Amino acid sequence: MRILLFLSLLLFTQSLMAENQVSIQIWHQMMYSHREVLREVVQKFETEHPEYKINLVYKETEELRSAFQAAALGGSGPDLIYGPSDQVGPFATMGIIRPLDDLFSKEDLDQFDPLSLVRFQDRLYMRGDMVGNHLALLYNKNLVSKPPATTDELISLGKKIAQEKTADGKPKVYGLAWHMMEPFFFVPWVAGFGEAFTNENAEPHLDSSSTRQAFQFMKDLKESGITPKECDYEMANALFKEGKTAMIINGDWSWGDYQKAGVDFGIARIPQVSATGKWPAPLVATKGYSINVHVSPEKLPQVVLLLRYLMSEASQLEFTEKVSSLPSNLNARRSDLVQKNELLQASSDLMSVGQAMPVAPELRAIWDALRPQYQAVMGGTQTAEKAAELAQKNALEQIHVMNEIEKPTSQALIVKFIFGLLGLVLLVLVLRKLPLIWSELMGPYRFAYWIMLPAFLSLIAVVIYPFGYNIALSFSNLSLKTFQDWQIIGFQNYIRIATDPVFYSVLGKTILWTILNLIFHVGLGVFLGVIIDQTLPAKKWFRLLLIIPWAVPQYITALTWRGMFNQEYGAINLVIQKYLHLSPIQWLTRPLEAFGACLLTNIWLGFPFMMIVTLGGLQSIPKELYEAAEVDGATAWQKFRKITWPLLQPVLIPATTLGAIWTFNNLNVVWLVSNGGEPSDQTHILVSYVYKAAFNLYRYSQSAALSMIIFLILVVGSFLFLKKNEPSSGGPT
Amino acid sequence: MRQLKKILSLLTLTLFSLFAVFPIYVVLSTSFRGDNAFQSTSLEFWTKTSSISNYFSLFTSTDFLTWMRNSLWVSAAVTLIGVGFAIGAGYSLSRFPIRGKKTGLLILMTTQMFPCTMLLLPFYIVLSHLQLINSFWGLLIIYSATSLPFCIWQLKGFFDTIPKELEEAARLDGCSHFQVLYKVILPVSLPALAITSLFNFMTAWTEYAIAAVVLQDPQLYTLSIGLKTFQSSLATQWGLYAAAAIIVSVPVVILFMSLSKFLVSGLTMGSVKG
Repeated sequence: MRILLFLSLLLFTQSLMAENQVSIQIWHQMMYSHREVLREVVQKFETEHPEYKINLVYKETEELRSAFQAAALGGSGPDLIYGPSDQVGPFATMGIIRPLDDLFSKEDLDQFDPLSLVRFQDRLYMRGDMVGNHLALLYNKNLVSKPPATTDELISLGKKIAQEKTADGKPKVYGLAWHMMEPFFFVPWVAGFGEAFTNENAEPHLDSSSTRQAFQFMKDLKESGITPKECDYEMANALFKEGKTAMIINGDWSWGDYQKAGVDFGIARIPQVSATGKWPAPLVATKGYSINVHVSPEKLPQVVLLLRYLMSEASQLEFTEKVSSLPSNLNARRSDLVQKNELLQASSDLMSVGQAMPVAPELRAIWDALRPQYQAVMGGTQTAEKAAELAQKNALEQIHVMNEIEKPTSQALIVKFIFGLLGLVLLVLVLRKLPLIWSELMGPYRFAYWIMLPAFLSLIAVVIYPFGYNIALSFSNLSLKTFQDWQIIGFQNYIRIATDPVFYSVLGKTILWTILNLIFHVGLGVFLGVIIDQTLPAKKWFRLLLIIPWAVPQYITALTWRGMFNQEYGAINLVIQKYLHLSPIQWLTRPLEAFGACLLTNIWLGFPFMMIVTLGGLQSIPKELYEAAEVDGATAWQKFRKITWPLLQPVLIPATTLGAIWTFNNLNVVWLVSNGGEPSDQTHILVSYVYKAAFNLYRYSQSAALSMIIFLILVVGSFLFLKKNEPSSGGPT
Repeated sequence: MRQLKKILSLLTLTLFSLFAVFPIYVVLSTSFRGDNAFQSTSLEFWTKTSSISNYFSLFTSTDFLTWMRNSLWVSAAVTLIGVGFAIGAGYSLSRFPIRGKKTGLLILMTTQMFPCTMLLLPFYIVLSHLQLINSFWGLLIIYSATSLPFCIWQLKGFFDTIPKELEEAARLDGCSHFQVLYKVILPVSLPALAITSLFNFMTAWTEYAIAAVVLQDPQLYTLSIGLKTFQSSLATQWGLYAAAAIIVSVPVVILFMSLSKFLVSGLTMGSVKG
């Protein structure tokens, strides 16, 4: 008790400290090297303005988006938010960032590259501090003397470089590497085959011959043997830094890092497509700051002061110097630092063939529709024609869903009526029980009621209330466009889910996932438990080693396994090749294998729990039973079947129920190992599907409904399971 | 025959132990390697780029110690509050004719079935109404309350196995209810208390999603969020990350191992009957 008091006192004093200061918070998604520069710039600002205290908070791009949405919906969040220009569309639509037109004069803005002033529906929402973000072909000068100008040259040069093989048959140095999972790295090629991937209204234009040809070209490029068999950003990046790939397609953000790593490299346009004679058009975008709509009028000038500082020539040049970024401030551009920087000069040549990044929220739907198709083409599970067709179809569908504002129907009245009625009934019940509750609190068992009270109250506040809130959301139309003013609409969300074939296929996969996991968890757990129980001398040591998977934090495990599943460099394939002499498995790029990868990870995580439960259960089985069985001449299997297994039931059944619930709802493993459902959204289980619907597609109400359905499935499922096994579950009562 | 069986089981156990330890081996080995060497075809533990420099820079050039301190605070407080509340509720439910006990226990169990990620948004709204965003208090409340159902079940299950005669004797000696709980029940419940505390500590020590929403000031970061900053969408500091992962895991693994004796006896899988 005393410790608690002390703790609360300490926390209290901490929160009192910052009083007279202006505290401004910035959320950003800058990569590691850029973060360092930002910190220095902000520190300078703080020395010049001692009353200011700037908090920098890093969040990964996706998380920045979802956290900012949640924060702004709750009426708070950071003062400034820094990120890529394509977040402007969604944020502006939700009304959670404020227009900046009234804060800066025209003369002010004229000093900046127009590309850096991000407008949405004719209003300024973001001030960019750097322009670029475009892809280029980087080549290692030690391996490539002259960069290829056309794709034919690229392939022949790549083949020459990749000729030399190592002992295990891989190229010693790859010709080319790039991020093969992200459509951002794909769309420049679409333009190279003639057409843009969106039309002038930012609507998707994907079912075109250009997209088909670009898909086919990507696939052929990968099969030409000049690239790694599987390659995500991390890997391409690492290969290039180590000189293990001669060329890489990467963005301007990476240049500073390569310089620092001491790679002698040059920059060229992505090679001209030989078949068409056209240049691939990388997306040119800006990254910059927007102001939270909740910043109070009193604080606004202070935030603007900081924003001006961040946009100033000096601040931007700091970035240019350290990470070679192209400043948006035109004065900064005229400085020697920019003029004499070869990289930046090359950069403007590259940008001349680029296309501007669209900022409308619809772009999100295009990426989301393209990503799975791109991955499927690269993984060899989809043809180029079908991929282009599906990408267009899905993009249109998602845009429709995103923009639709559902109106309340007559059902809304019914829902509201039911809510009201339930609320009333609850109120009456509580009021009528009040004297009773009071008498119990004062009665003979008051001790019991009082010591239960804290747990009871905190559960109501933290678990029951949010649950009720979620129920309300599930009948509402909360989405991108109704973020600030959602209302109850009726049963539409539930109806849509119930009629969606994808829901049933994901549900099927989830059930399969749960059953397979449990078979392995219980099977391995009981098996190992029984063996350990018999192996006396080393018993303790094995028990210690075997609970390790349970003890390591889950997110660490999941990310480690993801690394281990890499096709060429992952430890698992290395073991398979070296010791078992089998051919490597494409773990993460094919749906079935990726599902297997998640399964293997989760089996690893889950069996120790069942093993410990088994060991506990074995303790309570009287040894005399086994002795008697031995006298009767029972075999080991008979003893297990007739004694051990039935007597373990009382502990195993509740443990299995709990295990089933945990597995069914295990977001961590699926999300982290498959990187959010890759490849092609084929590895989702229901919870990850919900997560994606809520935070990637802005469909809050629908995912609220879906989570209610998950909840109901689990409640019904586990009670049926327990009911069925009831006679044998004696357990301690 | 007996000998053969023994060798076979030893072999099986060794094989599975290798399976259990292998990923740890990989992380440990990565934590020593140079920054770019996550991707490498060697399975060797120590390569020519290996050194302890990642650990060194972890402590000198990052806020790792701050995160560690924060995590320790939060986890310790959550353990105290969570287990404290759960003792009260678990004991009442185990020993007294509480009204609506059966329903209450069922509701407790069903709270485990809701996908927790969907509660993020409501949590955020509740906490911002209470002005608890960006403070440890918000985190403490959510962590302790969300782990309560499991803890209550767990402790109630264990209390159920303690013979009632023990308390009756103490009551006859003139002990109050509180004294009975404090002097008789808790001392014999040590295994279950140890395990419940361990679970509480683990949750708070490793939780990420909620912490990421609640804590915004880097000075308040807990380890899991801090670690995440080594990663970014396009460039992960693998060496630092692995080193930090090792240091984060070590205390929990040690706790787990030292409590593994209790794990076997204290993890009661109480039946669903009231």
